[in-house]
Amino acid sequence: MKKILIVEDEDALCLLYKEELALDGYDVTTAGNAEEALSALNREKFDLIITDIRMPGRDGVELITEIMGLRKDIPIIINTAYQSYKQDFMTWAADAYVVKSSSLAELKAKIRDLLNK
Amino acid sequence: MIERFPFLAPDFQSQEPRELALLSIISQSFFQPFSIEDNLLVILTALTSGSGVGFNRAMLFRTDGDKLKGEAWLGPRSAEEAKTIWEVLSTPGIGYVEIIEHNRRLLTGQAESLSQIVKPLAYSLAQDNLTIPATSAARREMLLVKNARQEPLVDPKFLEAIGVEEFLCVPLFARDEIMGLIILDNAYTKRPIESKDIRLASLCGLMAGNYMYATLLHNKMIEMEHLAALGEMAVFITHQLRNPLTTIGGFTDQLLTDRIEETKKRRNLEIIRKEIRRLEDVVTKLTLFLKVDVRKTVPFDLKAALLSVIQNPDLKMKSRDIEVLVDVEERLPKTLGDPTYVGEAFRNLIANALEATAQGGQVTILGRREDQNWVVVTVQDNGKGMPPSVKDKLFAPFFSTKDKGMGLGLLFVKRVMEASGGRIEVDSEVGRGASFRLFFRTAEEGRTDA
Repeated sequence: MKKILIVEDEDALCLLYKEELALDGYDVTTAGNAEEALSALNREKFDLIITDIRMPGRDGVELITEIMGLRKDIPIIINTAYQSYKQDFMTWAADAYVVKSSSLAELKAKIRDLLNK
Repeated sequence: MIERFPFLAPDFQSQEPRELALLSIISQSFFQPFSIEDNLLVILTALTSGSGVGFNRAMLFRTDGDKLKGEAWLGPRSAEEAKTIWEVLSTPGIGYVEIIEHNRRLLTGQAESLSQIVKPLAYSLAQDNLTIPATSAARREMLLVKNARQEPLVDPKFLEAIGVEEFLCVPLFARDEIMGLIILDNAYTKRPIESKDIRLASLCGLMAGNYMYATLLHNKMIEMEHLAALGEMAVFITHQLRNPLTTIGGFTDQLLTDRIEETKKRRNLEIIRKEIRRLEDVVTKLTLFLKVDVRKTVPFDLKAALLSVIQNPDLKMKSRDIEVLVDVEERLPKTLGDPTYVGEAFRNLIANALEATAQGGQVTILGRREDQNWVVVTVQDNGKGMPPSVKDKLFAPFFSTKDKGMGLGLLFVKRVMEASGGRIEVDSEVGRGASFRLFFRTAEEGRTDA
């Protein structure tokens, strides 16, 4: 079973993503901020990371930078309410950029693409 | 005959009293909150009044895109009118202000004013074969035209409009921008234009050009600030709306498919309800924020307003484990403001103070009469305080140090205070808490600054 780490500070969204992706057959771990995400990455091995950008404490961009320093091989999807970060070259390191939407179709499609490579 | 003059830099060493008087009058008017039209009127007046440069008439063209358009023409309409006007204006006791007032009426009052003649005139600055007067603006050259009827370079339509043989073209420009053109003549006195007149005219032209350019830059900056504020607003709203919408969409989709267990259906509806409330809250706060401009200041009892805010259950919850001291002077005079908004402003400030204060900390709310005119409410906490970088941005829209902050609270407070004719002051240092002082105007008779 493929393992996904979700980094998201909104509890309701964490719950939604966890349930939806579990139903699609993934093993999902959630983290509410960058620190929790990094300690989860220390504990376990993940096949994919989905992260928000605007979060309390260290933001998603800082988190990506750190993850890249640790393990470069894990694909990362940025999932944010902001379209504008797409222009920020620091976010180009991510493998996909999905703007939050009332339909999870695009996010799920990107997850499939990246995990089936 | 056409004579060309270099655009003279004003000679500030000049002992010529007229030049100094002109400089002083024009530069003073530029620092007044007059409209650009009023300030141009001051320039035209300076050029035509006897105590100024003393031309008979001054015609103004302004650039609009790459077009030079006739805008105003100041001066008497006939020799007879010139005589009566100049008699009136040379009466002792008539000062510059009266002359400008008179000229404003002359420019705007009559349908048959000279301006009606110049308004249909327009020249494209983009074309190659420019005629006089447009060429003066395009090449930034002062041109003195004599025997105009014999000059093929003068536009026949313009010649017909101005109707004189001798006139001076003064370009208005600054840096790379052509701002306009002034044309001066002595239609009634027939006095030849002399080099001294040209010097003074160039001085006025230089000031007018730079002033117009500064105004243009200023307006552009305001426009850009508005756009930037709009951009920030869009980004902010996007964020405030997208998160709840994503949650609502996802949990609704679960309900619509058969992927959800029966027991979770109610949970989903509760989450959806909560997110909708959140969206509602965003709308309420934005509306409240946008509405403050409605000025309805009435005398109100500040102490009662403060005490009712402190009873607010939301604040009570936040103030657990924090000591809240309220000390409002007895017999405070009534103050001016909209009690609803002022109450909301108090609530905002006190909530901020409570949030900034650690458990066991203290928030102090004071109400004091400062003097005859002002009552000051101080909301002080002994929380962690803020560095100058935060303090400077406190009132900027959408700036927040809180994770879920909208960044509208303090801006709201500031706008409420301004709408009440008062103000807000902040004092804070890292490690030393923060103190917000709200200045309310008293509603008493006999205010000393009323």
